[in-house]
Amino acid sequence: MKIYTYAILKDYFDKEFSIDENISNVALLNNFLAQRNPAAKDILAACRFAVKDNFVTNDFELQPEDQVHIIPPSSGG
Amino acid sequence: MQHLSAHTINIPELLATAHHPKAGAIVLFSGETRDSSHGKTVSHLDYEAQETMADKMIADILQQATQRWQLNIAVAVHRTGKVAVSETAVVVITACAHRSEAYAANRFIIDKIKHEVPIWKCEYFTDGSKEWGGNCNCKDITGDANQHVYEFDGIK
Repeated sequence: MKIYTYAILKDYFDKEFSIDENISNVALLNNFLAQRNPAAKDILAACRFAVKDNFVTNDFELQPEDQVHIIPPSSGG
Repeated sequence: MQHLSAHTINIPELLATAHHPKAGAIVLFSGETRDSSHGKTVSHLDYEAQETMADKMIADILQQATQRWQLNIAVAVHRTGKVAVSETAVVVITACAHRSEAYAANRFIIDKIKHEVPIWKCEYFTDGSKEWGGNCNCKDITGDANQHVYEFDGIK
């Protein structure tokens, strides 16, 4: 699965990276990333996740070929 | 990208596209870079976006506003990249029959963009520091990252 990060998340993770582990849903992916970098736990908890340009919920089932975009709280304007 | 621009936004040019024979009111909002934030002097802002999502979401917000307030024209463009002090970071133009609807729709659009659209601002200061800033923190209030508190009319 390929992960894309944005904005402040890039202070904690690479802009793009792959995960080989079999992670079945968004909530588990969030936990996995928080364990990989505990300093990012709070910001990850505030993020939205998107697959195929649509926001998905915590129970969304992930597939190994998915591209997951992790969307921090917006700060446009 | 129709609603994102990596280049300076030409406000007179955009405004020229917003006149309509049935519109008695045009409201233009320009969000611009301030020279200070967090007690420090701002050098410039830098905006990043998840561009495909942001462009589609702004289009959807404009469509919602057009239907709700019967707008004749609705325009929104947000910058990406470096935006200098006093330059426009985002512009929203609404045109319709009467001013109350034009103002309300304009505020709706900018609120929705600020809270929902995946665009992020990084503030660069003259002391060499930087800070990702102004994040939507509605989750602290609503408990849901997708549930926001808007200025225009409470929780949506």
